[in-house]
Amino acid sequence: MESDIVFGRWEAIALIVNTICARIFLNFPRSMAEDAGTAGWLETIYFTIITFLLFWLISKLYAKFNRQDLLDIAELGGGGILRVVSGLIILALLLFIGTIILREYSENMKIIALSDSPISFVMGFFAVAMAVAAYLGLEGIVRSHAIVVPQIILALLFILVAAVPYCKPTNLLPVLGNGGYGILGKGFLRLSTYSPLLYLFLLPPFIKDQKSFKAVGYIALGISAFLLLGSVLVYLLAYPYPTQLEYFLPVFQLARLINYGRLFQRLESLFVITFAAAAMHYLSAILFFAIHVFKKTFKLAYHRPLILPFTAIIFTLGLLPNNLMTVIDLETKVSVRFFWGVTFILPIILLSLARIRAVSGSAPRSQGPPGKNKAGAPKESGER
Amino acid sequence: MSGFFDTLKGWLLFAEPAPREQFILRENESEGDGSLKNSQPEGTTSSKKRRRQKGNGNDAGATQPISRRLADNLSAIKERFNVPTNSDVMIREFDIIVGKKAIAAFMIYYDGMVDRKVVNDDLLLPLMLLSNLDIKSDEARVPAYIRSHLLTHNQIKVVSALDQVVGEINFGGVGIFVDGMDSAFTADVKGFEHRTVERPNTEMVIRGPQEGFTETIRVNTALIRKRLKDEDLIVEDVLVGLRSKTPCAIMYIRDIANDSIVAEVRRRLKSIQSDYIHDSGEIEQFIEESTFLTSPHMVATERPDRVAALLTEGRVAVIVHGSPFALVMPTTAFELVHSPEDHYVRVPYANLLRAVRILAMTVALLLPGLYIAITNFHQGMLPTGLLLSIEAARERVPFPSLVEILIMEVSFELIREAGIRIPGTIGPTLGIIGALILGQAAVAASIVSPILIIVVAITGIGSFAIPNFSYAYSFRILRFGYIILGALAGFLGISLGLFLHGMTLVTSKSFGVPFMAPFAPRTAGDLGDVVFKEPIWKQERRPDYLEPKDEVRQPKISRGWIGQQDRGGDQHGE
Repeated sequence: MESDIVFGRWEAIALIVNTICARIFLNFPRSMAEDAGTAGWLETIYFTIITFLLFWLISKLYAKFNRQDLLDIAELGGGGILRVVSGLIILALLLFIGTIILREYSENMKIIALSDSPISFVMGFFAVAMAVAAYLGLEGIVRSHAIVVPQIILALLFILVAAVPYCKPTNLLPVLGNGGYGILGKGFLRLSTYSPLLYLFLLPPFIKDQKSFKAVGYIALGISAFLLLGSVLVYLLAYPYPTQLEYFLPVFQLARLINYGRLFQRLESLFVITFAAAAMHYLSAILFFAIHVFKKTFKLAYHRPLILPFTAIIFTLGLLPNNLMTVIDLETKVSVRFFWGVTFILPIILLSLARIRAVSGSAPRSQGPPGKNKAGAPKESGER
Repeated sequence: MSGFFDTLKGWLLFAEPAPREQFILRENESEGDGSLKNSQPEGTTSSKKRRRQKGNGNDAGATQPISRRLADNLSAIKERFNVPTNSDVMIREFDIIVGKKAIAAFMIYYDGMVDRKVVNDDLLLPLMLLSNLDIKSDEARVPAYIRSHLLTHNQIKVVSALDQVVGEINFGGVGIFVDGMDSAFTADVKGFEHRTVERPNTEMVIRGPQEGFTETIRVNTALIRKRLKDEDLIVEDVLVGLRSKTPCAIMYIRDIANDSIVAEVRRRLKSIQSDYIHDSGEIEQFIEESTFLTSPHMVATERPDRVAALLTEGRVAVIVHGSPFALVMPTTAFELVHSPEDHYVRVPYANLLRAVRILAMTVALLLPGLYIAITNFHQGMLPTGLLLSIEAARERVPFPSLVEILIMEVSFELIREAGIRIPGTIGPTLGIIGALILGQAAVAASIVSPILIIVVAITGIGSFAIPNFSYAYSFRILRFGYIILGALAGFLGISLGLFLHGMTLVTSKSFGVPFMAPFAPRTAGDLGDVVFKEPIWKQERRPDYLEPKDEVRQPKISRGWIGQQDRGGDQHGE
């Protein structure tokens, strides 16, 4: 279904890059060290190459579906039932990510800056940010990404470059780290790092054409891969292996290392603001897409009445884990193991089904008259 | 009380949103035949009921016709102008000699609004005395004869509706009624006192023109026209205000400005249904998109050179009679940071000024909030020496830093407000009170710490460096929000403030143009004069987000002499 809102490539790229790279500010470099030891950077290259190949395959399958998102395609492939099933799977993923990320960011913020504040208070700030952003709509979210993401990238690069003098090449030895299983076996599951590509498969109605879809995907993957690899490399180079496993916020630790004279030190303050900006943008995108998917799955006319209930659900679920360790454990057990499947396998299945049904001529006509959906609701604008 | 419950209900329960037409800026290819023609303006033609029926005078028709009987016109005019209650309404009755017969006539005007000398020499004298001369003409019709041979004034109109005459008289004109004519003459003989062209008060520059607008509409339009010597510069008159009928002028360059922006400005102005409009500030509030967004949606400037420069980019200006501030729309957040001087000084100087201004804005908005955040939550982020200095300075202060900074900020706002309202002669007293009592004495009494005085002073100086005073207001308001957020959650609170502030800005529009264009959304075209300024010869295109009819401002090589030197080569081989 086409939308009234169409935004440019840069806005879409910024959205995808932030949602992928926001994990850098959490524990991504450390998790690479846990998996593959000093070969964490090789692991990153490995699953990035697989991601590019999978995206190439998905974009080929997408070629025939101009400005249709995953739910439209599910409907083409299997009618309303498949649309609802796919929508619920994606919705579950988004709610889970939203909950985990909200709690994880809040816990980390509490540890680095607000140690005396209750966790619900810290989470409240992020919840307000995501609810207001969802209220203002996708247009505002992507435009804000377009302005803020370059600044976040610059701040991250600044921290990484400033930490280079502390890097020692010997910290990368042994080159193959924990060995083949760590790089290739665990690395395959780390495809989930790129699970925010799922948002790209929900974006086609808002992007001009198929060419833009592919360009956005490749450029966003390229920038994200560069940043992920850069952060892992600098972290692995800056600390010896045993220390790499100690820190829960690797980039924060890198920022704390920086010390050039009496004045130019304690740059972790830069980290805190960058961290919070990335988190608020990421969470606002998650909430919007969760509501958007729910609305589209059940063909509702408006999204704004859903904002408060969804925010309350994510906020409440976020309070359930006992502590940060539980959250990280949940993330490892669920996100890493299953989300790559939802991000890459589900679209391949849906696209294949839709193509088969299109070839056999039995695809249901999912598109209503222009400007109306089946419920006769006004044309989707993402702003109601 | 019911209002409170309605508001509460609105927050809790969902109501179907009322359909609201949103203005969307159209691209120029959708303008039809592709010619650069604008749609032509609509024709411009005492009781409450009469006023409501007739609107603000912009609509043709629905007006009281002029009678052929002079007595009827006289009584109608007396009724409309409340004669004799109105003491400054002057009615002068006289006879005009046309051929061999004397025709009764009368003239009406406001005393003090017209130039008496012009009325006497160019209107009464020819009508009463020169009409006795033997004029060689075979013109038989009385109106044409009077217009062609007797009225020597340069601006005479023949109007057929009484309301048109009334409108002209209200704006310093003279109405002349002649017996037997179903029309009247109006002459523009404005002579009311007004301020002369002076230096602008709020937008001073060192280099560049030193003229500012006055309160007189025609002076203001002329100040712009004398800079833009372009016959495609259009000045459309619109009357706003059901009673005041305030003359406004919509100005744009016909073959540059986007038609849909011009039409939208015209539509919004003509739709205003208020009785009195006194100033462009009121017009701004009637036509802006969002009332509660702190940032202004249009540039209010008292500099004709700035309006001229903005018009050449494809914008539209509104000049309001009685206001020395012109409104220019659409605008973006980045343009509100520009100063007219940026165009007149060389690139390195302009960029230095812009950098200083960006720093000033950041300081004005965030410094108090950051101070609170750091002193309350992130002490570890300060270098140890600085932290010890701050703590030593705060040692004897009995208040928490939030109360301390609020005391100082509120005091500073009081001084600022008092400084504007205070009579000029006792102005220096305020400086002494502010400096001594709030500065020295407050520190001596350990009510505030010296470092806080520095923070508040730098913040104040920063806010003075913001070139657009409406934008500076916006920063003053938001600063308090950042202080509260900084006190609540340190950098997390500040980040939330920046996020929400940014979201409201990126979702705002000024006459269909996104407020954060050309960055969000990123539009095509160069960024030569957005944040920092490129050399003037590299600014080849007009802002793309305005969808101008003519996008090219100058060719790729705008300095012809460069090409000539390249061919010949200069002595350095460059």
